[in-house]
Amino acid sequence: MSTSVRVNTYTHATTHVATNMLRSVKQIIRESGLSTDKIRNQWGVLESGVATWLGSRHLKSLVLEVYDPGKPAGADLVGRFDFTIDYTYYGDGDGELWLDPDTVSYTVRKNGSYPSRCEYRIVAETASGRPDVAGWSSTTLRSTAGFTRHSVGTAIGGGSLGAGLSYYTRSS
Amino acid sequence: MSVVSRTVPSVPVRTSVETWDAIVESLTAPDQAARTSLETITNVAAMLIAEEYTRDAPIVVMPASGDRVRIYTAHGTAAIESEDEPPLATWPLADPGWRLSLPCGIDDIDDVRAALQPYPFVEVRDVTDGIAVTAASTPHAAGSISINYDELERS
Repeated sequence: MSTSVRVNTYTHATTHVATNMLRSVKQIIRESGLSTDKIRNQWGVLESGVATWLGSRHLKSLVLEVYDPGKPAGADLVGRFDFTIDYTYYGDGDGELWLDPDTVSYTVRKNGSYPSRCEYRIVAETASGRPDVAGWSSTTLRSTAGFTRHSVGTAIGGGSLGAGLSYYTRSS
Repeated sequence: MSVVSRTVPSVPVRTSVETWDAIVESLTAPDQAARTSLETITNVAAMLIAEEYTRDAPIVVMPASGDRVRIYTAHGTAAIESEDEPPLATWPLADPGWRLSLPCGIDDIDDVRAALQPYPFVEVRDVTDGIAVTAASTPHAAGSISINYDELERS
């Protein structure tokens, strides 16, 4: 774990968590054997949305959906990773800024890699009333029926914020 | 040859994109063609900043003439405790023929080099290497440019 500093503003916390969630998503993508082209090409839009919605406290989770384009729609989900936001992770709002890339690597090792033909998308789950951010559009997450969710623990923290990581594996 | 150094506070003071924007604004006037060129690589540059490759290895700016500029980013405690440094005395990218070298970790370097292939003004180097920038592909320069790493270490 790399601990950097105690937080003194919520803005610092949201910036830290937003950018490092994207770093972690990129780490999952790369270590899962997928191309990082898409996340790199969308970096600015993704960071803007995540930072904005963390700042407004509308972001509930950041989801990486991995799917197989060769399978029929509705049955193409092959894996999923969630960073779920806890806005009261540190009760006093003065938690340190930290990122634990080892937790992310552990998660990928437990989950395994994907065939290179698989693709992914990044979805922000938000509460109603969120401000609009350019480049983002509404969508619906794929069904996780037949999958089991595994919680790994908190991977990123800062201020009052924590981002817990979980992943899904097919169970049936 | 002189080298000018600047350190730009990054995450958590600025997002990675905001950090790149601040760097671009420090290097270019609003109406300069170079600003447009640098803005086209925002996603890649911001990702490299987010990975903190630019914390220990500089972005190296090589103007057509004048002082070279090395730009570092500060992260975490260092970012919060630092302030923006004075602006550069001149716009180093005002004249065509300038080049840029971005540091990159080994995990990303092949993908980043491929992504930046269409942009001949920028070169990507291994963050653990010394600094040597080949400039043969630029339409404004020929041969190669070698950066004296010892000079870059001087303040």
